[in-house]
Amino acid sequence: MTEIGKRKFVNLIALSLACAAAALGLFWLIFIMADVIRHGIAYLTPGLFLNEAAPPGMAGGGLKHAFIGQLLITFFAVLIGVPLGILGGTYLAEYGRHRTIGRFISTLSDIMISVPSIVIGTFVYAIFVKPIGHFSGFAGSLALAIIMIPVVLRTTEEMISLVPWEIREAAFALGAPYYKVILQVVYRGAATGIFTGTLLAIARIAGETAPLLFTSFNNMFLTTNMNEPMPSLTVTIYQYAMGPYDDWHEMAWAASFVITLFILGLTILGRLIIRWKYKN
Amino acid sequence: MSDPIMTVKKLNFYYQGNVHAVKNMSLEIEKNQVTALIGPSGCGKTTFLRCFNRMHDLYPGHRHEGEIFFENSNLLERTDITELRSRIGMVFQKPTPFPMSVFDNIAYGLKLKGIRNRAELADRVEQALKQAVIWDETKDRLKQSANGLSGGQQQRLVIARALAVEPDVLLFDEPTSALDPISTGKIEELMVKLKQDVTIIIVTHNMQQAARISDQTAFMYMGELIECDKTERMFTNPKQKLTEEYITGRFG
Repeated sequence: MTEIGKRKFVNLIALSLACAAAALGLFWLIFIMADVIRHGIAYLTPGLFLNEAAPPGMAGGGLKHAFIGQLLITFFAVLIGVPLGILGGTYLAEYGRHRTIGRFISTLSDIMISVPSIVIGTFVYAIFVKPIGHFSGFAGSLALAIIMIPVVLRTTEEMISLVPWEIREAAFALGAPYYKVILQVVYRGAATGIFTGTLLAIARIAGETAPLLFTSFNNMFLTTNMNEPMPSLTVTIYQYAMGPYDDWHEMAWAASFVITLFILGLTILGRLIIRWKYKN
Repeated sequence: MSDPIMTVKKLNFYYQGNVHAVKNMSLEIEKNQVTALIGPSGCGKTTFLRCFNRMHDLYPGHRHEGEIFFENSNLLERTDITELRSRIGMVFQKPTPFPMSVFDNIAYGLKLKGIRNRAELADRVEQALKQAVIWDETKDRLKQSANGLSGGQQQRLVIARALAVEPDVLLFDEPTSALDPISTGKIEELMVKLKQDVTIIIVTHNMQQAARISDQTAFMYMGELIECDKTERMFTNPKQKLTEEYITGRFG
């Protein structure tokens, strides 16, 4: 075989393998999505959002408590995770730019991003739930926040680093102190990117179940007290899907559909913002 | 006769520990004139220029000996950096518009000085844009992003931004090396016009540019000032052999 023929042959093999791998991934993705949509839409009713859980076997139950719990847990997770992540990312990209500690934290965050989320759940269980003595919504928020922080931190760092250094020098040359340069000039340049990163980080934690099992646990009743065990969509889906009742299975399908749609919407919105940003 | 706004006396400057970038420079910067700093790459002219607005303060590991007299004191010892930088502005090689509207770009330095009154801001923004001869091109797009302007427009916008705070001195670090000939021409014209209001120091690699716009030219080589004189004399009858060789293009 000639040299060029050999290269074409190797290329063909590599290309086939890559396409096969992509097709395999895509097949399962579409399979899951189609299944969730098919079952989910069928059982989607207004009662799902408006009613609280009914006793097993009784008709007319909903997941209002889980929706509200999920929103509260996510809200407080964002409240803790996003400011810390943005401030940390700002430190890494600005003040810690040339420091060993900065690079160390960056690397550590990259590792944190790939830590299994259940590990974070057990960690929060050990440092928060155990000492206090009971599960709580706050513990759940804390676990989700810990998952968010490295994601937001690295995105912020990267987006801020994209703002050219000359722009900062120009602001300094007008007499601006460093904190004003960051707040008024650098953040303006990086705002869209940081916002998009935050959206994607929210999408990332919205579907987490494992870290909530050990922290916010679950609750069959509506509560807005973050200091109590709190229901969440994901844990409720897990519980309902495992349960013996048919109407539980139906609600689990419908809830899966809603949460999938939410995450999909958030991700698409993030991508759209990135594309819009590049156009301008 | 000579009316220096700044006087450099025996200035030595070191950065990154011990790189001796400026060696024993003494020079007078004439008021309302254009002083050009020329010399081959790495001769220390940009480092020297950045001493005037204390840009080096941003980075660790620098030190200096000597003085730059400005308003009866050594500006290298001043502590009011914000005030100093609003008196001595700077324009960089690459246009550096901030990621905000044209108006906000110009108003930025004014806001730093504590000017909040909307009418006064609008007034001074217009004045600065007119002074930098970019008012006609921007008056209908003050609210739009400054990133939408062309490179040459951006550079004039940046000059307007520096002018808005009414500085005494403007430092230019190769302001046209990233621009096309037409934009370059406009900026050169602008610098000559601005002489009435401000004193200009410009670092340039373009010898024709130094000859066209400057009143005084300083030639630096390996951190030292080789020769400084009226531009006309420098380019027609330099006293030093090295200067003659550089301006005739025999090295550098």
